[in-house]
Amino acid sequence: MRAGWLAALLALPGLAAAATHIVTIEGMQFQPAVRTVKSGDTVVWRNKDLVPHTATAAGKFDSKSMAPGGQWSWTAKAKGRQDYACTFHPTMKGSIVVRD
Amino acid sequence: MRTHVFLAGLLAGSAVLAVHAQPGPTDPQIAHIVVTANQVDIDAGKVAEKKGSTKDVRAFGKQMVTDHTAVNKSAAALVQKLHVKPEPNDTSASLKKGGEENLAALSRLKGKEFDQAYVDHEVAYHQAVIDAVDKTLVPNARNEELKALIVKVRPALVEHLEHAKHLQAELGK
Repeated sequence: MRAGWLAALLALPGLAAAATHIVTIEGMQFQPAVRTVKSGDTVVWRNKDLVPHTATAAGKFDSKSMAPGGQWSWTAKAKGRQDYACTFHPTMKGSIVVRD
Repeated sequence: MRTHVFLAGLLAGSAVLAVHAQPGPTDPQIAHIVVTANQVDIDAGKVAEKKGSTKDVRAFGKQMVTDHTAVNKSAAALVQKLHVKPEPNDTSASLKKGGEENLAALSRLKGKEFDQAYVDHEVAYHQAVIDAVDKTLVPNARNEELKALIVKVRPALVEHLEHAKHLQAELGK
């Protein structure tokens, strides 16, 4: 029975191949603006600007203030598109698309 | 009316910046202009953070304090590293004077009038500083790291300008 669960777990590709994706914040932009990831993958935002930023999708995720030179990571779970913005700088927008 | 007085002050400031395009400021003078330009906007932001009549105006003022303080921290670290001693000059003096006049004018206003005057000034100020960056500061900066810092700050100035224009449109409704 337990062995069956294990086999099922190992068969899930998302768990076997969780990857890390970088979103660079530079020049008051999220680069790339749209990042496609798999469920279980980790997204790391790195702030290379001189000013603090956030990566915030209301009700989904919120980095809070990332200092210049700082970073924040988030693990994607639910499938779908998460549009996010910097709460400090409303012109800065990005999206994370989560696939299976 | 008061807005026009602010704008006249700003334009006078821009004229000084333009005059200095030839022969152009030295690196120590550029460093002083950068630090002063940030400080002027920090001082105005501190007032707006308290006196702004809407949440958006107060948040914008707070953001100006945060961002321009962060930029000045980087600028201070760089001039220390480069052993550049910021040198007061006519352009930085003009920016400082314009900033003081703006604060004096803002101190006489409140409510919606304050919001409008502060945001109008922020739009004009950021535009004037972007113009100075493009026409005077970047072309004249000799040290590559000083030039790179100014280039790196520019997108933040543009974002602030867009943000301020958005607020201006909201206030105009």
